[in-house]
Amino acid sequence: MDPLKTKKTSKPVAIIVELFGTARIACGQHEVALELPASPTLADLASSLASACPELIGNAILDDMSGLMKSYTLNLNGTAFVSDAPGQHIELQDGDRLLLFSSQAGG
Amino acid sequence: MNKATDRSLFGYNGKMLIVDLSARTSHWESIADDVLKKFIGGTGLGAYLLWKFCPPGIDALEPSNPLIFVTSPLVGSRLTTSSKFAVVTKSPLTGLIGDSLSSSFMATELKKTGCDALVIIGKSASPCLLSIDDGQVEFLAADDLLGKTTSETEDAVKQRMGHRTRVACIGPAGENLVRFASITNDGGRQAARTGPGAVMGSKNLKAIAIKGTHAVPVHDAEALNLIGDDLSERSLGPATEKYRTLGTMANLSVFNRLGTLPTRNFQQSTFEEGESVTGEAMHQTHFVKNAHCANCTIGCEKILVTTDDGKKVQGRMEYESAFALGPLVGIADSNTVIRASKLCDELGLDTISTGATLAWAMECFQKGLLDNFRDDESHEASLSFGDGDALLKGIGLIAERQGIGDLLAEGSMRAARKIGGGSEAWAMQVKGLEMPGYEPRSLKTMALGLAVSTRGACHNRSSAYEADFSDRVNRLEADDQRGRITAEGEDFSAVLDSLIWCKFLRKAFTDLYEESAEIFEKITGWPCSADDLRMAGERINNMKKLFNIREGWTREEDTLPERVFTEKLPTGIVAGVGLEREDLHMMVQGYYRARGWSEDGMIGEEKLRELGLAELSEIVHPVS
Repeated sequence: MDPLKTKKTSKPVAIIVELFGTARIACGQHEVALELPASPTLADLASSLASACPELIGNAILDDMSGLMKSYTLNLNGTAFVSDAPGQHIELQDGDRLLLFSSQAGG
Repeated sequence: MNKATDRSLFGYNGKMLIVDLSARTSHWESIADDVLKKFIGGTGLGAYLLWKFCPPGIDALEPSNPLIFVTSPLVGSRLTTSSKFAVVTKSPLTGLIGDSLSSSFMATELKKTGCDALVIIGKSASPCLLSIDDGQVEFLAADDLLGKTTSETEDAVKQRMGHRTRVACIGPAGENLVRFASITNDGGRQAARTGPGAVMGSKNLKAIAIKGTHAVPVHDAEALNLIGDDLSERSLGPATEKYRTLGTMANLSVFNRLGTLPTRNFQQSTFEEGESVTGEAMHQTHFVKNAHCANCTIGCEKILVTTDDGKKVQGRMEYESAFALGPLVGIADSNTVIRASKLCDELGLDTISTGATLAWAMECFQKGLLDNFRDDESHEASLSFGDGDALLKGIGLIAERQGIGDLLAEGSMRAARKIGGGSEAWAMQVKGLEMPGYEPRSLKTMALGLAVSTRGACHNRSSAYEADFSDRVNRLEADDQRGRITAEGEDFSAVLDSLIWCKFLRKAFTDLYEESAEIFEKITGWPCSADDLRMAGERINNMKKLFNIREGWTREEDTLPERVFTEKLPTGIVAGVGLEREDLHMMVQGYYRARGWSEDGMIGEEKLRELGLAELSEIVHPVS
């Protein structure tokens, strides 16, 4: 699925996904640059991220790339947690940073 | 179903072993079914027994302070993560309830001796090794064990008593009554928070050797096995992925990015040199293997090894130890963090309180309130943030109470009172217990959880951080809903800690209360509903609070260190964020309302009746 074709909104945005935990180790990098629609769904994001970093499939991204595995969560710019409700859109702007880390808080 | 029809009690022994070290006697007492149903086991039953056995108003290091080891109905079953026990006593750090959890074979062995709880009172006239062999008690000399580290002690006791023996012991820190000394079992598991090792040391009790053969049957083993298989499978799913891979060490990089990583004694909440001590980096550089507690499918513990040219050290590492002996004291060298953590384990010290008390001292040094100290070779040394040698020397001095270590062995609250100079403001503790690795200014729900916890600054008794790390709340802003969230988190945790489940299993349950009620029924044969367990969680937290009220707790103690209110966070994405005193007050009042307590946090008789605690109403009024 091409995430750029799933949204009616116009201009794509350039964002960074920061990787933590086993996602970082699996990818061998701290962050990944992506271009996404301005209001993507989690599936859009997962698909795009999987293209950039296939090692995340079955690790942080569901095998069918429909979203994240339950063991991971997303935070926008370090302040707001992103809902994982199906079909939910994430409002993004150029330069935003999405943090991908374990959903098992604390310990 | 179990065919042992002559047995009326399943999942419990229904009795406790009471040992008096002064008189060198022991006896058994039964525990009423009603008490077991109300308080379950673990920290819940421990809180009740503490109220029962601890004379009001005593000093925690007096012989009459009971040191209570408690198992649970789940112990001895094959349910994953169920091999855990609680250690409950009056804390020498807080003067309030001190409850710690540890795990592994010690739990199952203790239950197989025939008791649900071991209550130790009195003080031995000479160093003692307490042997409990299938319920037979012996008081053995332990002079030869004095001064030994925890691993040396465990090895020596096993050598003497047989290798099947399970050992709980203290290190030099406990012997020297360091107020945050731990009790160690099964090769390095720790009951450490709130300082139970100091209470054990005050009793001249160096070690306990346990052997047992009496397995406790469950009511419906067949059904329990099916449930256990399903739970084990779920324990290997996404709900525990973090714990199975990087362990809690995975927190460090995330907390640093989110501005919630206490650094240099909470002067910052980000660590600019933090990369080398993240879970990801340490896993790639130092990881040796995973370790499991007995009966656990998760295996959260990470065994790491040093990789520099110094003496090779291998030991366990988890987030709280890494934060307290790394960023909190300004240490960016991962080899030093591993050495410091291992040293604390060997000397028998709580890593959080050790790191936090040293961080307080480093700031005092930074501000000219403390002079250089002399190390064990009479070299002058400083206590500067980031100085690894000073950290390692400081840990040793604390355990031996030598030089400046004698002051620091009292914990940050007492040390600050002695040094003065405004240093109380940066003694990062609540009720005397040093704060864990969660910055309260950028985690507002956790701020409340830390302020109101009955055992002082504790993250585990409420897990209030869970709300902050979710889309349920805005972690940077306070509101009046945090009281309800925190109270619910405390009740949830009390049920986990009393049954006892490992907290790392919590997300594997679809509904903890429903599933645990069914499991409790299969184990005990007693009817139990989700609502029964919810009420038990609330009852247990009220029981703990009742003990604290009896011991003189006041409303003013439900607060946070002064620094939190007067200094804004200076770095990272949370730069400029603080916590207003009024906001914490508002959240605390919301918490009291959620608990059904008065505005000054006292428990009314109606609430006690509702919880089936009416007989305890006399302790609503504190001792003078």
